Amino acid sequence: MRVNKPTIARVVIIVLALTFLYLPIGTLIAYSFNESKMVTVWTDFSLKWYYALFNNDAIIEAVGISLLIAAMTSCASVVIGTLAAFVLVRVRYFRGESAFVLFMTAPMVLPEVITGLALLLLFVTLGNVIPFFADRGIIAIWIAHVTFCSAYTTVVIRSRFRELDISIEEAAMDLGAGPIKVFFAIILPAIMPAEVAALLLSFTMSMDDLVITSFIAGPDSTTLPMLIFSSVRRGLSPEINALATIIVLIVSVFTFFAWLSMTKKQKRKAADRAKAASAKLKEEKALIEHHF
Amino acid sequence: MSTGFSANMTFIRRAFQPRSRQALAPQQHQNTWRDYALIFLPYVWMIIFFLLPFLIIFKISLSVTEIAIPPYSPLVTFEEGAMQIILHLENYTNIFTDPDGTYIRSYLKSLQVAAFSTLFCLIIGYPIAWALASSKPAMRNVLFMLVIMPSWTSFVVRIYAWMTLMKRDGLINDILMVLGIIDEPIQMLQTDFAVYVGIVYCYLPYMVLPLFSALMKVDYSLIEAAYDLGCRPVKTFFSTLVPQTKSGIVAGSMLVFIPALGEYVIPELLGGKSSILIGRILWQEFFNNRDWPLASAVAITMLVILVIPIMIFYKMERREQEKLNAGK
Amino acid sequence: METPVDINARNTASQQPAAQPQTAEAIINQPVKQLHLPGQLPGQKPTPEQQNRKPILEIKHITKRFETFTAVNDVDLTLYQGEIFALLGSSGCGKSTLLRMLAGFETPTSGSILLDGKELIGVPPYKRPVNMMFQSYALFPYMTVKQNIAFGLKQSKLPKAQIEDRVDKMLRLVHMEEYVDRKPFQLSGGQRQRVALARSLAKEPRVLLLDEPMGALDKKLREQMRLELVDIINSVGVTCLMVTHDQEEAMTMADRIAIMEKGEFLQIGGPREIYENPNCRFCAEFIGSVNIFDCHLISSNATQSLIACGDFKNPIELTHDIDLADGMPLTIALRPEKIYISHLTPQEETNWCEGVVENIAYLGDISIYYVRLTDGRIVSATLPNVDRFKEGLPTWDDHVYLSWDPESCIALTF
Repeated sequence: MRVNKPTIARVVIIVLALTFLYLPIGTLIAYSFNESKMVTVWTDFSLKWYYALFNNDAIIEAVGISLLIAAMTSCASVVIGTLAAFVLVRVRYFRGESAFVLFMTAPMVLPEVITGLALLLLFVTLGNVIPFFADRGIIAIWIAHVTFCSAYTTVVIRSRFRELDISIEEAAMDLGAGPIKVFFAIILPAIMPAEVAALLLSFTMSMDDLVITSFIAGPDSTTLPMLIFSSVRRGLSPEINALATIIVLIVSVFTFFAWLSMTKKQKRKAADRAKAASAKLKEEKALIEHHF
Repeated sequence: MSTGFSANMTFIRRAFQPRSRQALAPQQHQNTWRDYALIFLPYVWMIIFFLLPFLIIFKISLSVTEIAIPPYSPLVTFEEGAMQIILHLENYTNIFTDPDGTYIRSYLKSLQVAAFSTLFCLIIGYPIAWALASSKPAMRNVLFMLVIMPSWTSFVVRIYAWMTLMKRDGLINDILMVLGIIDEPIQMLQTDFAVYVGIVYCYLPYMVLPLFSALMKVDYSLIEAAYDLGCRPVKTFFSTLVPQTKSGIVAGSMLVFIPALGEYVIPELLGGKSSILIGRILWQEFFNNRDWPLASAVAITMLVILVIPIMIFYKMERREQEKLNAGK
Repeated sequence: METPVDINARNTASQQPAAQPQTAEAIINQPVKQLHLPGQLPGQKPTPEQQNRKPILEIKHITKRFETFTAVNDVDLTLYQGEIFALLGSSGCGKSTLLRMLAGFETPTSGSILLDGKELIGVPPYKRPVNMMFQSYALFPYMTVKQNIAFGLKQSKLPKAQIEDRVDKMLRLVHMEEYVDRKPFQLSGGQRQRVALARSLAKEPRVLLLDEPMGALDKKLREQMRLELVDIINSVGVTCLMVTHDQEEAMTMADRIAIMEKGEFLQIGGPREIYENPNCRFCAEFIGSVNIFDCHLISSNATQSLIACGDFKNPIELTHDIDLADGMPLTIALRPEKIYISHLTPQEETNWCEGVVENIAYLGDISIYYVRLTDGRIVSATLPNVDRFKEGLPTWDDHVYLSWDPESCIALTF
């Protein structure tokens, strides 16, 4: 690796980049404690927008719907993603595999307006046959979210899966573990970090999706991004600042823990390597003593 | 794809690496019914909820709008016991022969906005990716998290934050006035400038992450060799760093270009009347004019435009993969 | 365990008359004649058949075809109770495929595998009484040493106390008691191998399969672990089938070796037999180094065969008859260590030739002489460096005579 000296150029770049990335968010947080209704004029510190936020039934309901859909979506798309990843990595080439790969990856590269429109038209068409789909409620949104989230979960889980040594699974099988046991005792613990990442990823994507959901959602199911979008379109609203602050807070907590676990893992790996090295040293010493 | 979330986007690149058949086949046993059972759920799900919708879009794009539920003419009708298929190509011809040129103009505008946004992302993202890749490992973790964290917060909220900043009495205008650079507030919202800022802000991580992973793999001794042979910094950059990170550049560019082309939310909230991008047209045709067939035709046309960048992306990844396989 | 075949067998004390002085000069100028016919090699372990051992694994007409090529082609093999058998071949020869078919990871295209007389084909890997030690060891990364060893026992649902007992026994067997609670990536390569061995022995398999057992170890450690592995395997008494591309490894560890090429067995035999009595040109060249001469037969009777070879002034003489059909090619294989180099013209009328020393490779224990014969061919001959400061040895551009014993020549017909 190249020189790690903190050169001036690097520091300047990082400072500028972080300013660009965090200035808007920081402003929102600051204004969320502003007493004035005028979003941009600072008058006094106040928590009144937080009170307003928690007393806003529409927002609370939207948060509930969004959380529900996100929870259901993340579970289902992790299951589908795991299955698809298993198929792509471990199952022998099968007829229609290239189509399978295309289906599993295309939702990631298509503009959301197209995916949204396509899914809506599907539900309308299905609604003519099966009335269940006609009202396009939470289940329809869930299906749409699972469809595009599965593509992402598949990629995340698959990239971890690919790195697994197949001989470890064979060893388990050789020692008497059947295929199901191998999956739960050997594969699952190994891909667990990816499963968690995929779960969080699909949860966040589902929580955050606006365009596809706007196409699908019937009049009774308004998700949080839809609500924010419509209120933002009407004008700036201080309650949204308070909401944004809470979202940023939750995300930072998660990010902090992600960073913490990443750092811990690296430290643990270094410690393991050190242990292995000392074991090797001991072994070499024993080897020499054995010879003379 | 305006989801504001982008875990490690290198994952997306990996998705396009086709699996090498030869490498795995001899290792595996024959497919059993169990394997097919595993294939069944994801496959059927994707056929019903992904392939089928596109066939429906295509079908509807060939009908005309009607005041009915659903608001379009049936493609197949039964009259006097005989099946009739009526294909309407009006939607497609309308797109190209519209007297105002609305559609053509919005396509061109979308291409322009997407291309320039990609370029800006590349210019801004490359130094950031370089700064990340060349930091100490511990620092790198922190910076990496800091760079992607904003994209884990709500997408709409981030756009909204820029609305607050760029208002006439927003922070940016205030600062510029205090500094005496301008005498009166500049109009920033409802301009193309705001759209560019919004797109660059939201899609920057999509550019930085592939570049970052490409830069991590760079053989820095080549740069030293170039310097050693008397190459100037700028020339060294283009002759050693750029070729080595080409895959990251292409991947990042496609990951910005493709979603930016169909972007709806950002031009809607930040852009003005001049920022009529194709995503907005599609939305308006569908929601405001309830012209489903025309919206479908717009979507199909957009897909056709996107086929080329998607193929470039795919081919590039394939070549990478082949290189990897050859190295083994 | 039999000591490995000495590559310089001729020069070891056991094979020379006691009075023979051990100097290089003596070896050069006073060649010793020994007589034994091919097939009767002293020091060779009795074959399993001779010992009346029980066959445990019978592989019959096994063929494995992949889409484009045949990995294993109609192979037969019988393994006897308690023996260590090595499949030796270069990569892609089909040895790993054969091993994987025994473990159950590949299904043969045709043929049958009988273990204790019961058909194994169709039995899934997790129900076969056969365990494998993988090349990369394939230890479960999230489990401790103890959990790794106990994994197989847990699958057979043994009572807990019994599992504990057996794991302890295994840990003692491989001397890993200190490291029970370590995870695999906290261990050195040699320790990982011990754990892998303990894990595959824990279930007391009928047959133990070893896939390149030393493949992941450093060179120095390898030599040590070979003998240790053999000790452990012998102390347990398990029948063992190993796959390797390393001939030294196969010869050190195995009782019998099969040389495999292009999916077929070329020769099966003890280490000494395959070295001293290769049955074809490929085997002769694959194991050790060898000089190959294309020849034709002059005459042959019960006690003597005379063979003409290229520009040799003198014919090659063999002390047995050669049954050669008309037009069949005949080659003579001659190991470098069985050739004597001398400045003196040999007295015999057969079995020598002359040339000029073109190059000498000094390897420390031996020197390899590359001698260009009068007809331009290069022959290699080795000389042990017994004496530290010996003078008068042949050197570059010396005119030398190469001679050998009649029984050193191996006549090969294909």
